[in-house]
Amino acid sequence: MTEEHQPRRDEDQKEFAEEQASLFKITLAPLIWAAHFAACYGLVAVTCAKGWDIDAVRFGLLVASGAALCGIGWVGLTAWRQWNVAQTGDFVNRGGRAEDRHHFLGHAAFLLSIISLIGVVFVSLPLVLIGGCQ
Amino acid sequence: MTRPSGLPQPEGPYPPTDEMLAEPVPKDVQEAQAKRLRAAWETPKGWRYVTAVNNTEVGKWYCLTALVFMLLAGVMALIIRLQLAVPENDLVSADRFNQLFTMHGSAMMFLFAVPMFEAVSILLLPGMLGARDMPFPRLSAFGYWCFLIGGVFVIGSIFFDAAPRAGWFMYPPLATEDEGPGSDIWLLGLSFIEVASIAAAVELIVGTLKCRPPGMRVNIMPLYAWYVLVVGGMILFAFPPLIAGDFLFELERSFDWPFFDPTRGGDPMLWQHLFWIFGHPEVYIIFLPSIAIAAMIIPTVARRPIFGYSWIVLSAVGTGFLSFGLWVHHMFTTGLPSISLGFFSAASEAVVIPTGIQIFAFLATLMAGRVKMTLPMLWISGALAIFTMGGLTGVMLALAPFDFQAHDTYFIVAHLHYTLFGGMVFPVIAGVYYFFPFIQKRLMSDRLGKWAFWLTFSGFNLCFLPMHLTGLWGMPRRVYTYPGGLGWDWLNLISTVGAFVIAAGFATFVWDLIRPKHKQAQIPRNPWDGGTLEWTHDVPEEAWGVRSIPHVTTRYPLWDQPDMLARLDAGRYYLPDAEEGKRETLVTSVIDAEPVQVQRVTGPTWITLWAAAFTGGAFIFPTFSWYTPATISGALAICCIIWWLWTATAQVPEADSKDVGLGLRLPTYSAGPASVGWWAIWITMLGDATAFASLVFGFFFYWTASPDFPPDGAAHAVPGLIALAAAAFAVNWGLTVGARQLNRAGRVTPARICLVGAPLVAAAGAAALIYAVVELEPASHVYPAILWALAIWIAVHSGAGVIMQVYCLAGSLFGKLTPRYDADIWNVSLFWHFVTISALVTCAVLGLAPGAL
Amino acid sequence: MLGGAVVLWLLVNGAFYYLSRVRTGEFDQRYARHILIGGGIVLPVVVLTALLVWGLSILPDPRRPGDGLVVRVTGEQWWWRVEYWPEGADAPVLTANEIRLPVGQRTEIHLTSDKVIHSFWIPALGGKMDMFPGRETMISLLPEKSGTYRGQCAEFCGASHAWMAFAAVVMEPADFDRWLASEAADAVPPSTDAAARGERLFRSEGCGACHAVRGTENIGQVGPDLTHVGSRQTLGAGRLKVTIDDLSTWISHTDVLKPEVKMPTYDLELDQLSDLAAYLEGLK
Repeated sequence: MTEEHQPRRDEDQKEFAEEQASLFKITLAPLIWAAHFAACYGLVAVTCAKGWDIDAVRFGLLVASGAALCGIGWVGLTAWRQWNVAQTGDFVNRGGRAEDRHHFLGHAAFLLSIISLIGVVFVSLPLVLIGGCQ
Repeated sequence: MTRPSGLPQPEGPYPPTDEMLAEPVPKDVQEAQAKRLRAAWETPKGWRYVTAVNNTEVGKWYCLTALVFMLLAGVMALIIRLQLAVPENDLVSADRFNQLFTMHGSAMMFLFAVPMFEAVSILLLPGMLGARDMPFPRLSAFGYWCFLIGGVFVIGSIFFDAAPRAGWFMYPPLATEDEGPGSDIWLLGLSFIEVASIAAAVELIVGTLKCRPPGMRVNIMPLYAWYVLVVGGMILFAFPPLIAGDFLFELERSFDWPFFDPTRGGDPMLWQHLFWIFGHPEVYIIFLPSIAIAAMIIPTVARRPIFGYSWIVLSAVGTGFLSFGLWVHHMFTTGLPSISLGFFSAASEAVVIPTGIQIFAFLATLMAGRVKMTLPMLWISGALAIFTMGGLTGVMLALAPFDFQAHDTYFIVAHLHYTLFGGMVFPVIAGVYYFFPFIQKRLMSDRLGKWAFWLTFSGFNLCFLPMHLTGLWGMPRRVYTYPGGLGWDWLNLISTVGAFVIAAGFATFVWDLIRPKHKQAQIPRNPWDGGTLEWTHDVPEEAWGVRSIPHVTTRYPLWDQPDMLARLDAGRYYLPDAEEGKRETLVTSVIDAEPVQVQRVTGPTWITLWAAAFTGGAFIFPTFSWYTPATISGALAICCIIWWLWTATAQVPEADSKDVGLGLRLPTYSAGPASVGWWAIWITMLGDATAFASLVFGFFFYWTASPDFPPDGAAHAVPGLIALAAAAFAVNWGLTVGARQLNRAGRVTPARICLVGAPLVAAAGAAALIYAVVELEPASHVYPAILWALAIWIAVHSGAGVIMQVYCLAGSLFGKLTPRYDADIWNVSLFWHFVTISALVTCAVLGLAPGAL
Repeated sequence: MLGGAVVLWLLVNGAFYYLSRVRTGEFDQRYARHILIGGGIVLPVVVLTALLVWGLSILPDPRRPGDGLVVRVTGEQWWWRVEYWPEGADAPVLTANEIRLPVGQRTEIHLTSDKVIHSFWIPALGGKMDMFPGRETMISLLPEKSGTYRGQCAEFCGASHAWMAFAAVVMEPADFDRWLASEAADAVPPSTDAAARGERLFRSEGCGACHAVRGTENIGQVGPDLTHVGSRQTLGAGRLKVTIDDLSTWISHTDVLKPEVKMPTYDLELDQLSDLAAYLEGLK
């Protein structure tokens, strides 16, 4: 693992770009959760304060929840592929190679998308269970 | 496309081969190197000791100061408990009691819990990362001195009967209308400390991202580093809303601008939102680093790597995010729509999941390992017992119907102390026992430690367990006394007894900590058989941090890289020498930790002390409405900081690159995204942008909450001047970036011309913005007041930006800034990216909102 | 909920104890993985989802419309200004520091505050609701059992926050109507000599600048309305009982009993004090 260094710059940059993307991917699922949460809270607050049509907003936000779940699902799926545990059988990713780090970032992003998924479902529950602006 | 600066790239073999690492270093070379290193890193002696900036010294001071503040706040708690021991007690007056509980909460949060995280991290992180020091040692020292000055000022006020007394949450209008300097002391003193906290957070983030040892990719960082990263990020987004709130609050206190005064369109709820957007993440900012200590101790105890590393990373990152969706659960009884409460109830339940995962990952590690019980582990077990209890009551409180009853009662007091003792105090003490050999090269007593544990643990439960019942039986919080005969009497008495048992436990612990240990035999280097890099420390102590910076390829290098320690000691790895007599550490790339640069770090100095003292003056004098001394002090602080930057940062090196060992040559200077300074500015400005966003949030909050915002017939900002300001800020941005590009291209004179023009245009823009609102009466209504606040925010930032531009111009004239060495102007243009966006948003809000709303 | 919490606490801490003290040897990694996924994700998701759905479904609606009666309560530092607005009334019945509610009827309580934030709380009848200056919040209560309960301010509101309580009296509807009618009436004139002397003292000491006694020339609105103070359960917002002794103590030691209260302490002769107390006690 040591002999090959001095990679060409462009190769280096390509790899860096890819990993920047996967570092971003780690936060993507929770960011979707955060955006969904902020949209729910903000829109409902303004709607109730200004007396807009709450039922339409609830419906719209439930659609947004669906979209958020799809988005997180997609992130989770690509992260699962990046983790690639089905082929490597490696649940731990503790090695020191670039490949281990690549799998690890996929693993972490996958787990975070599960948490974000649960978060979005939880936050959507009030939209279903609670009616108007009481 | 920016032209490359012409500075050299890293050259030579990397990663090192086994043969290269196996080659011995001659003895005489080793000794000569060690001598030079020791000289470069020597800690100043005698009265100059206070000029030290090394992380081991600053970290120690920081920890001890935070501990002293904690003990003082603990004594306040004891007085509180004595007062409440029996009904209708008159040991202290109502006013004194209110000062005591306000200060107890404020000090524990702002002077102990958050600083303790920073202190411990400054102390330990470089060791865990095999770094020589933090990337900006003088910044840590500056932060420490700010913390000390601000802390003494805030906590000292209680001895003059002038302490804040409106609760640590400072709700207006109670706090805004409070007479006397108490609220100002809280606002200004703690804002000062918050700024220091953010500085430390920036440093810790940059340290974790850019100062890891070569080879330590993100998937093998010690878990502590992951937590530092998450918590640092949280501080960046959590503290700025409070700083924005403080800014508005102090404008109301000083100039009667009615941000929170409902009679003039203000709204006390805005403070509650800003405070708790800070306040709830704050709980996790306190909790996560402490659990990180547990994540370091448990693998050692289980004698195996942590089980579920990725899960813990998930849990830290997940908690970091979710914790920003909980703040309204402190406001369940403010009459918000039920559906809004539902969102926060849901998020508050969701955050339990990552927290639980953390605990189960620890359980799984213990399960898979061969456990060897130690004293630190005893404290961790106690922490778990207490924390799970606090967590479970937290699950109950997240349900709004339960909270309607329990809110603001002693049930909450019990809950929060269970989470904070279990989630912070116990793990930190475990950490003290565990890391004491690393810090002081001595061991603490096992016997005293057990005594301290059992006293604290039993005292804690005796004190706080009954409070659940006291609260459910209706006793509200923050009462200085209570009538007898309501069933609360004996419960309170038990709690008071418990509080003193805790105090006995703490006394034992503190005695064990400070008792002289000179007679103790030298300790083994790795007393707990830990696997992470901090246990490569030198016994007896050396100030250089690490003899040579190792190449790390595993999560537990001491377990998995058996040859590492000997090679490290021999100076086989990177930077084993200090040929130029300068302090240096290695900068590596963010994800894969490939070495990219040798960073010259700064050494002992008085300037940080002066800078902190004058900054302190700028914050403290306004408390007493001494605005002239405050202004002078602020100006001197700026001078000190400019002097410090000019003489110590982004220095032109004597050679463009140097040999760092193992055949690798690294550049000694970098600019832009490759440099740590650029990262620091980026991260700082992210926090600054959050504060600005909070102000804009305030503007729209008023619009949402009030039907007459802006009020009918209100005067608006002058549109023509707003347009002028926007144009000026845009031109200024163009000139600044243009100067950077021209300078890099070697066209120095045009660059200088841009740097002359830019500050003038920026100043004109700021002036136009102020003139646009100057006719408005900020004390008359919240609408003109918030416009003023936004304009001032931008004007102050422009002022800082102008100073930076002039600094670059001076740098260009005096040879500090050249086409080849241009880090300063990269950082300044980054600053202006952010400020320009803020300024344009402000112009949009001021200019367009009257028509749009 | 409590039982569940105890069981979970015992499970987690029991496991921790067992693994760190009793059986310290290695387990198969498979078990470790099961405990991580089962305990960390599956169990909490199931339990929390159930709890959350339950919690949201029982979320009370504090703004549910009442059966007619509206009580408007204003938080002051540190007492309660209370107005009763029976259905269709054009003017309220004014009183202070006591809330009376008819049993079995839903009453809307409209809450506001004069200066700082308070929180209205009768633990036995319902949750809290904060009271803001410049804004009205609401909590509607449906008491199911008659009796006297304690209510208090739950939001820290300054020096005497501890002494901002009140009695909440839940009455049979007929009793309530009778009480409200008598509360709406003007004050009774003093019936004894002592009380008559007290009445004069009340005027000459300027008490009427702050306190109203309806039907007299005393019409101050700064402090609590005292028209029927003698019929109340507590004095000084839950501080003392309404007896002649307590009234004298209150007037002569106000600042001790209630730190930083606006009402000054009156330095009167003992007999004057008892006259004044007799007058107030007689305001049934």
